[in-house]
Amino acid sequence: MSPGLAIFSGILLLTGALFTVVGGVGILRMPDVFTRMHAAGITDTIGAGTTIAGLMLIAGWNLLLVKLAIVLLFLLLLNPTASHALARAAIHGARRPWLGGPGDSQ
Amino acid sequence: MTLNIAVLALLATMGLALIRAVKGPTVYDRILASNAFSTKTVLLISVLGFVTGEAELYLDIALMYALIGFISTVAVLKVSEFGDLGQPRPDSLEESP
Amino acid sequence: MIELVNFVLLGLLAVTALAAIRLHDLFAVTMMFGIYSLLAAVVFVVLDAVDVAFTEAAVGVGISTILMLATIGLVGRQERRPSHRPLLPLAVVIVTGAALVYGTLDMPGFGDPDAPVQRHVAPRYLEQSPEEIGIPNVVTVVLASYRGYDTLGELTVIFTAGVGILALLGLRRRRPSTQPTEQEKT
Repeated sequence: MSPGLAIFSGILLLTGALFTVVGGVGILRMPDVFTRMHAAGITDTIGAGTTIAGLMLIAGWNLLLVKLAIVLLFLLLLNPTASHALARAAIHGARRPWLGGPGDSQ
Repeated sequence: MTLNIAVLALLATMGLALIRAVKGPTVYDRILASNAFSTKTVLLISVLGFVTGEAELYLDIALMYALIGFISTVAVLKVSEFGDLGQPRPDSLEESP
Repeated sequence: MIELVNFVLLGLLAVTALAAIRLHDLFAVTMMFGIYSLLAAVVFVVLDAVDVAFTEAAVGVGISTILMLATIGLVGRQERRPSHRPLLPLAVVIVTGAALVYGTLDMPGFGDPDAPVQRHVAPRYLEQSPEEIGIPNVVTVVLASYRGYDTLGELTVIFTAGVGILALLGLRRRRPSTQPTEQEKT
């Protein structure tokens, strides 16, 4: 593995780690379920995407790359579907999005 | 090195999602936390495969977890919306406003 | 690194188990069991028991979650308050657990190479499995080949249990809407 590739993969992995933690903090701190879904979306898209891209650069051109691509494809297909179903179930369960501003408590 | 940082970040996020799953307050928060948890599990297994150097085996498991986590999330949502896994019932167990 | 991962995962397992005990909404308890299974499966993966992790994920996260949800659809989702104080069962459990922990003190240390379990058939599995079976993972070899009949029996038991649960849950026709609506308190 060439040093440039290693540095780029390290940058991607660190970006993924950063966005994963940011999304996790959002899941904990956001005021209601819809905003928490928004925070979880960060980890599912850019967090997972950059992490797996970094791993792909480590893997090189072989079967591992294909498997990682399939994992990423599944995550990108399935998580928005699950989020959509969750939002639909929450709306049908008579949850309304929280429309307050910063500083309000629910 | 960066792999280890990624593992630590994923573990920290799993802990945060677990706190949200324990605290609730509504059932949708728990479902959301559980789904986020399964995504983090898939990523953690993928990264751990490269940490331990047995990525071939670990990635197969990660693939299967991605599918199973989705199936269980959809089943849970179906129950929370309709009250059971079958047809909708008029007296379903939804939350009242 | 792997030791740290193990510590964190086992800590999260303990937190999840305690939360599953403390919660009274059965729906939330089902979610906790799903998270518990995911964590246990990661622990198995880290311990290099890949097949056990496969089974744990498929059974724990997939099938048992769905079976528990089907049960919740039948029985409602609030745990009933216990009618008595569970002091006697607690005492029995504590005494039994203390006895079991006392029993483990005589066992050899974890991973001790001189333990009887490591000297009986394990060396042969470790040395001969590449030539005899040809699968790289030893746990897979033991599960699928050396103890293949054992695994077949386990599969039969699990399949029978699944069929029995499905028969309990699903053979009756759906009842008309006579159940009272249950409110969720979270």
